Amino acid sequence: MILVRPRLPRYGLALAGLLLFVLLALILGVGVGAVYIPPGEVLQVLLGLSENPVLTELRLPRVLGGALVGGALALSGAAFQGLFRNPLADPYLMGSASGAALGVTLYAVLVGGLSPGFAQHAVFTHLPLSATLTGFLGAVFAVGLTLLLAGGTARIHDLILAGVVVGSVFTGLTTYLMMQDADRVRAVFAYTLGNLAFVGWPGVKALVVFLLLSFPLLLLGRVLNALLLGEEVARTLGLPLEALKLLIIAFAALLIAASVAQAGVIGFVGLITPHLLRRLVGEDYRFLLPASFLGGAGFLVLADLLARTLTRPAELPVGVVTTLLGGPFFLYLMWRRRGRA
Amino acid sequence: MRRILAVFAVFWALALAFPLTVKDDLGRTVSLKASPKRVITVLPSATETVCALGACGLLVATDDYSDFPEEVKRLPKVGGLYNPNPELIVSLKPDLVIASKYGRLYETLERAGLTVYVVKTETYEDIFRTVRALARILGREAAGERLVAQIQKEVYLEESRAAKAKIRPRVYYEIDPTPYTVGPDSFIGVLIQKARGANIIPRELGLFPKISPEFVVEKDPEVIVATYPDAEKTLKSRPGFGRIRAVREGRICVFTGGQDSLLSRPGPRVAQGLRLLADCFHK
Repeated sequence: MILVRPRLPRYGLALAGLLLFVLLALILGVGVGAVYIPPGEVLQVLLGLSENPVLTELRLPRVLGGALVGGALALSGAAFQGLFRNPLADPYLMGSASGAALGVTLYAVLVGGLSPGFAQHAVFTHLPLSATLTGFLGAVFAVGLTLLLAGGTARIHDLILAGVVVGSVFTGLTTYLMMQDADRVRAVFAYTLGNLAFVGWPGVKALVVFLLLSFPLLLLGRVLNALLLGEEVARTLGLPLEALKLLIIAFAALLIAASVAQAGVIGFVGLITPHLLRRLVGEDYRFLLPASFLGGAGFLVLADLLARTLTRPAELPVGVVTTLLGGPFFLYLMWRRRGRA
Repeated sequence: MRRILAVFAVFWALALAFPLTVKDDLGRTVSLKASPKRVITVLPSATETVCALGACGLLVATDDYSDFPEEVKRLPKVGGLYNPNPELIVSLKPDLVIASKYGRLYETLERAGLTVYVVKTETYEDIFRTVRALARILGREAAGERLVAQIQKEVYLEESRAAKAKIRPRVYYEIDPTPYTVGPDSFIGVLIQKARGANIIPRELGLFPKISPEFVVEKDPEVIVATYPDAEKTLKSRPGFGRIRAVREGRICVFTGGQDSLLSRPGPRVAQGLRLLADCFHK
């Protein structure tokens, strides 16, 4: 297998384009919402010349939080796809998002007493860090279980099958725990479909902390590149492969846990974004990882914008929008792939 | 002789009333050969209505959530809307089951050969329609008319008490922290209006919309009503909600632990729910 090294100018161009995309998404996200705020006023508020709580306390953290969650999901998706050399690996399919959700829910049950808010429960808003840590343990546990059931990463179909099984079982457990409060079934669905509505500044801060902690993942692109050549080759390069693989799983799990603790389970961002960007920046993970982060950030901000405004001032669950956007696109990818084979 | 005739007339009327064929709220035809003797209700508001009609003694079981009046608490529980236990229902051999239109429990029970009457209880008007309909199939039409008159009188009393209030506060009503709220045409929406509150939710959004938090902050409600545990803490910790007048002035009314049933069940105790709202809006 020959690795095509993208020429740097092309990568630079793609990166600049992605930055522009994120910027545009952020501007649109902040400018449009359930409540109309004239562009001039938006600008004044952002410059600190005037005050508008709807903008500064609700929309701005929600949009930024959405960008961070989207970026984290896409980055972990890209890492999983490289690690397992499997284009279908993503936080959803590896069971890790469900594991994180179970960890976060268990935390709410044990510490908060299960009450209806779930993603919006006071436990999460007051102690987002500890909820993220149990989510992290859940995500790592789920990935471990998936790998165990699949007997390693060698057989791709086994891996996907195991991931789906683990994900379903964990989702079942989460739903069971939440259903103990059966009057709140709608809130359960809101959590499993993702909800960015109440991401505030504490949530954004928590996301920033965990993204910074996972920053080394961006530097592990070289390892993922080596893995692309096959484990044998990678070993001959003298890399401590097993340790590095565990490290990648840990970083990805941390990103997933941080996202799930803040926004519930949002599907398809981690699957679609790396796919799309692979066409743009190529297979080199040193570039694909940061590109995925940017692409995921822009994608989720736009998806949440649709969720907020399509039926305004009512809202749709953001997971419904990402699935409706992501599903057909994924079908298209599969169709293209089949066409080429 | 006259007394004997009167008794005879009552029996005659009862004999004439059954067999009875009616249409339920889904437009299904329901036939009863005789006045029901063993009734199961799978909806708390229906349980309350049956008991308010003086037919509590006919109940052999209810759903998990039926907890009023006190005497239904010791009856067997046959599950809830999402986890009904049809086998238990069938084994209790009811001659009438009163079920909600939500869930497909009625289809299962019907296949098992039971007589099922399906009710829709969503709007304020549904309360009175349901009272009359259940009174009819239970052979207690006079009691039904009396109950309708009584509920309307109680509601009128609360309504006229609330009408003395000079201001109509802007109200935001949260049924769960997703957040789902209530539109003006819903049962609770009508109660808010009768309690002289102004619902901030526009009619176009339907009965129970999931609302944008931005919209709530923008509308700046003067009173917030919530019907789930820990609501005050949840609302106060939300981004931007600290600016809302109701939160700043501490005018958050949380109804849980039984009080929420008065507001969530379109049944005979509706006036008590109305009173809770009126007291909350105008204290």
